[in-house]
Amino acid sequence: MNIRLDPRTKLYMILVVSAVVMMSATTPLLWSVRIIITLVPIVLLIAEKRYASTFRFFALYITALVLTFCFLSEESTGIIQSLLTGYCGIIAQFLPAMITAWYVIRTTKIDEFVSAMQKMHIPDGITISLAVVMRFFPTIKEEYCSIRDAMKMRGITLGGGSIVKMIEYRMIPLLFSCVSIGDELSAAAITKGLGGKVKRTSVAVLRLSAADIILLSGFTAAAAVFVIFKYFI
Amino acid sequence: MADKKEHTIEKKKLGVRDFITVGIFTAILFVVEFACALLGYLHPIMVAALSVLIPIVGCIPMMLFYTKVEKFGMITIMSILMAIILFVTGMGYLGAPITIISGVVADLIAKSGGYKSFKKTILSNGIFSFWICSNYFPVVVTADSYRKDLIDAGYSAEYCDSLFAFVNYKTIAVLFIVCLACGCLGALIGKAAVKKHFEKAGIV
Repeated sequence: MNIRLDPRTKLYMILVVSAVVMMSATTPLLWSVRIIITLVPIVLLIAEKRYASTFRFFALYITALVLTFCFLSEESTGIIQSLLTGYCGIIAQFLPAMITAWYVIRTTKIDEFVSAMQKMHIPDGITISLAVVMRFFPTIKEEYCSIRDAMKMRGITLGGGSIVKMIEYRMIPLLFSCVSIGDELSAAAITKGLGGKVKRTSVAVLRLSAADIILLSGFTAAAAVFVIFKYFI
Repeated sequence: MADKKEHTIEKKKLGVRDFITVGIFTAILFVVEFACALLGYLHPIMVAALSVLIPIVGCIPMMLFYTKVEKFGMITIMSILMAIILFVTGMGYLGAPITIISGVVADLIAKSGGYKSFKKTILSNGIFSFWICSNYFPVVVTADSYRKDLIDAGYSAEYCDSLFAFVNYKTIAVLFIVCLACGCLGALIGKAAVKKHFEKAGIV
């Protein structure tokens, strides 16, 4: 199964999910709305055949929810429980937004994203910078992993116990590689005509399909239900 | 050098290269913020300590970024991107105006020094650090309902009470000052690190 969504739908999904995540759920109905909209990106990720990451996210989210509902309450005190509260809180609170963002980053090609932003008349500066940010998170992760490997090879594990060294040993090489990657990226972008004076055309043709419309209306409805039941009833 | 020529012709206008630089450093800054914010879940005092941690840890990328800023707008765009990313990751929209305004002010200060004056850069970095305070805004502005929300969302009452002991409308002014001070201090540390590593390697 292959569902191709318009980047605008995906951005709208992010918007709705992060707005809903911000207003914390207080009743079972609100929780179910929240869980349903979290399931949408999970299903979409399965459709994209990204089973491993989907499973990780799903297992983490379910564990956090079960722990929150069954074991933790207002009265829970003590160091282990407060740590657990913290972790479950962060997971239940931010994972929906993160998984949606992950889905969007993984499935949106940069050209589609840029042309969607152009269609929405977002200024070039923000479009290009945001596209670079989106593309860069996986790169930072990769670079960080190779730095860690290199450190292991030299037998440096934590930077000799000093926090300053720990940060310095990781940050400086990371910045070096990021700066050079940035130079390569700008060279590639300029070659492809980014920043020219004429309006660029795009290979990616964007059109709202039936799936887009269903999702758009579904997410709008979910947001509406959430706001109405939280603030007006 | 074609690049140099472009700079002299279009001195005021931002080019693709600048946008890409902004994007890269925003991504790095966000990773720093995220790593520090995870510590906040250990104990509420760490939430308050973010205003110390992020400027100090993030100082090296920020100062490296400042060496690459030559035109008005780059710092502003960075603050807009931070506001967008903070919203997307669930920090709320209440802090967005502060983030963007402090970005513009920081940009203006750095501009007044021609993006070369180190004193202006220190001050500018301090002002830019205000975006960290925008993370506290949901806590401060909507204190009562936020506390209820947190408890309903599964946080323990103990966590909430100690969170509000450190972050409330009385201490927010202090947190702003701490951000400013640590931003300035971070600028000094970052400058030293940039000098130690990057100038030697010829990247700056």
